[in-house]
Amino acid sequence: MTTDTTDLSTLAVPVAADPDLVGMMTDLFTAYREARTAPDQFVVFDESLWGQLEELGLTRLTAATESGGSGASWLEGAALLTAAAGAAAPVPLVEHGFLAAWLLEQAGLPNDGALRTVALPDAQGQANSVLYGRHAAAVVALWHDGAQWRVADVPAARVTITEGHNLAGEPADTVSFEVADLGAGAVVRPEVRDEFQRRGALARSLQNVGSAERALELVLTHVNERAQFGRPIGKFQAVQHLVADIAAESALARAATDTAVARAVESDWADPGVPFAVAAAASCTGHAASVIVRNAHQAMGAIGTTLEHELHLMTKPMLARRGEFGTVHEWDETLTAMAVAAGREGLWPLVLTGTTA
Amino acid sequence: MPPVSVSPGVAIEQPALTQLRLEVRAFVADAIRDGLFVPHVDTWLTRWDREFTRELGRRGWLGMVIPTEYGGQGRTFLERFVVTEELLVVGAPVAAHWVAERQIGPSLLRFGTEEQKQAFLPAISRGDVIFGIGMSEPDSGSDLASVRTKAEPDVVDGVSGWRVTGTKVWTSGGHEADAFFALARTSPLDPAHRHDGLSQFIVDLHAPGVEIRPIISMGGDHHFNEVHLDGVFIPDNRVLGQIGDGWMQVTSELGFERSGPERALSTFHLLAETAEAMQTQTLPTDTGVGRLTARISALHQMSFAVSTALQGHQNADTAAAVTKVLGTTTEGDIADYVDLLAPPGRAADDALHTLLHAAILQRPGFTLRGGTNEILRGVIARGLGMR
Ligand SMILES: Cc1cc2nc3c(=O)[nH]c(=O)nc-3n(C[C@H](O)[C@H](O)[C@H](O)COP(=O)(O)OP(=O)(O)OC[C@H]3O[C@@H](n4cnc5c(N)ncnc54)[C@H](O)[C@@H]3O)c2cc1C
Repeated sequence: MTTDTTDLSTLAVPVAADPDLVGMMTDLFTAYREARTAPDQFVVFDESLWGQLEELGLTRLTAATESGGSGASWLEGAALLTAAAGAAAPVPLVEHGFLAAWLLEQAGLPNDGALRTVALPDAQGQANSVLYGRHAAAVVALWHDGAQWRVADVPAARVTITEGHNLAGEPADTVSFEVADLGAGAVVRPEVRDEFQRRGALARSLQNVGSAERALELVLTHVNERAQFGRPIGKFQAVQHLVADIAAESALARAATDTAVARAVESDWADPGVPFAVAAAASCTGHAASVIVRNAHQAMGAIGTTLEHELHLMTKPMLARRGEFGTVHEWDETLTAMAVAAGREGLWPLVLTGTTA
Repeated sequence: MPPVSVSPGVAIEQPALTQLRLEVRAFVADAIRDGLFVPHVDTWLTRWDREFTRELGRRGWLGMVIPTEYGGQGRTFLERFVVTEELLVVGAPVAAHWVAERQIGPSLLRFGTEEQKQAFLPAISRGDVIFGIGMSEPDSGSDLASVRTKAEPDVVDGVSGWRVTGTKVWTSGGHEADAFFALARTSPLDPAHRHDGLSQFIVDLHAPGVEIRPIISMGGDHHFNEVHLDGVFIPDNRVLGQIGDGWMQVTSELGFERSGPERALSTFHLLAETAEAMQTQTLPTDTGVGRLTARISALHQMSFAVSTALQGHQNADTAAAVTKVLGTTTEGDIADYVDLLAPPGRAADDALHTLLHAAILQRPGFTLRGGTNEILRGVIARGLGMR
């Protein structure tokens, strides 16, 4: 056996989504971004984009075909979420296609494909910050009745919506359910609660990778064009270092996130190393946002702080998203519990495989 | 246009590699139990053990990427990658062979003559010949092309060769090594073409005219040296490759050098010991351990993916620079993080303080050696089209 004759695929297999599908999604969202008018303070749901995504089978890309989804893997799903976030597409892809559809599958409930979002109501039936709540035909609630977890598909007509907005200006509404409607939901496995959290956190991490990479692109264009002291500011080493750190943290976030996706896809989420990988993705991506957001705004100067500029369409959601399915601190706590349980001998296997075996 | 990314991608380790890992892991577990070594930090710089190195050679874990006809194992960079990871995370004493394994072997394979390959590669693969690197000089650090060590043609007893004169510095392990590669000027500096006129010489460190003086590090250790070359005669057959190719040679293997697992794992054993101390409640449980473990996990993936890309002959220079900047920063952050948590103590008190103090003292070097992080950020900026 020599270096040039070894079949590399017996050693390592690169993981990537179908390039044609990725290319299609990239083109679609680039065109969308380029046609968009100046950003507003509030994110407004784009019905026509949603219709277009529906037609292309992208609104429920990763949902099972039996329930009307497109049956693609999270690898393709990952490409969709990063591309959409990079265009700041104001559509509930995660809520509708990745979470609500999955919850309904877990509960064995039908899905007619009408726009849905998800909520985790409290004991009294109230859920805060439900994204796109006001636009949903039905809200899929994951609710603990005191003994077990239930999933209820509650039509909009049976909930009360109080409109609000999150940090990113996205529709983040308070949704009040009738407790009886929640109690009538289908009982699901107790693990569904944590699995839901992981799917949500991984989806948010993927979106944040998309936003980070677009922020890097915006900053690069800016520093190459903007001149001060007679030359493009990108020629100043201090500025180059700000940008290099954006690129580095984005790459780290992508590595952690793509690893979690790959592990989930390989095993249909069954690999016991998935929880560590998702927690690592949420932690790395969450902390990366601190550097990326700060440096991007610093390199962009005052113009990047205006409503008119595209940058805040990347930076505000990055900060809003990173706490949504568990705060960064909570993910660090989860990781710490795993690391401490692993101890001296177990830490390295944990790093490699997400388990101490 | 696809989004800008300097990410190396993700590659999944296959069972053949995992199997190899487990073999190495079982060996080091036994070695620790049998007292062959005590786990430490930054062992690829500070822990020399020729006998341990030879044992690795006997097990086929040296010269892994050297073809069998030169006494190597004829395996892949990926197999080498997992072996080195397993040795690094337990802080095994790997400094003796590190330089020869990582860069001298691959450089000889690529640029050396047949005679040079026969002369050195089998010995490197057995762990019998130990190399150092003679690049830096008192006045040439980051600006390596400014080296002043000079080589002038000469003939001794009918053998034509070069007389090399100059001072090399920061030569890690130079006092223990058998030979080093010295970068020298073979034609005068042309300010318009600064990278021209440099050549590398294979210098026997026991040759007449070589004087090695210790430089003691701030913790009292001796791993650095100053190497004076006073008209050392180097025959033509110890010129690496072609005269004038020195710059191309020193920059060509940088992808492997920069993205290797050692760039994030120098303090891994300290992190593992910290997790253990939290488990036994010797240290308060704190979320920094989880945060840093996650980062190391992502860095492992990046480093592995860069190796996979390089093994497939793809250029990964920018991704390698990114991996090194992040990795060396993180391994240093581990030292500082544990220092924030740990009660005061003496290195002799317990394993945690032994590792912690060594890590704190070694940390400044992490982000300097092999190209400083400031220089590497410049490399990344160039990769992004800013320069
Ligand atoms: C632990 C260790 C082991 C080493 N082993 C070896 C060895 O075996 N063989 C060998 O040849 N060398 C070795 N070196 C030397 C190493 O390669 C140099 O330290 C390194 O190249 C930096 O050079 P310098 O230390 O002279 O710092 P300088 O180049 O003087 O840099 C000092 C500071 O200035 C910054 N700086 C310099 N130029 C620029 C610039 N253009 N832009 C921005 N910032 C800049 C640097 O980033 C750094 O922060 C080792 C170093 C260390 C720390």
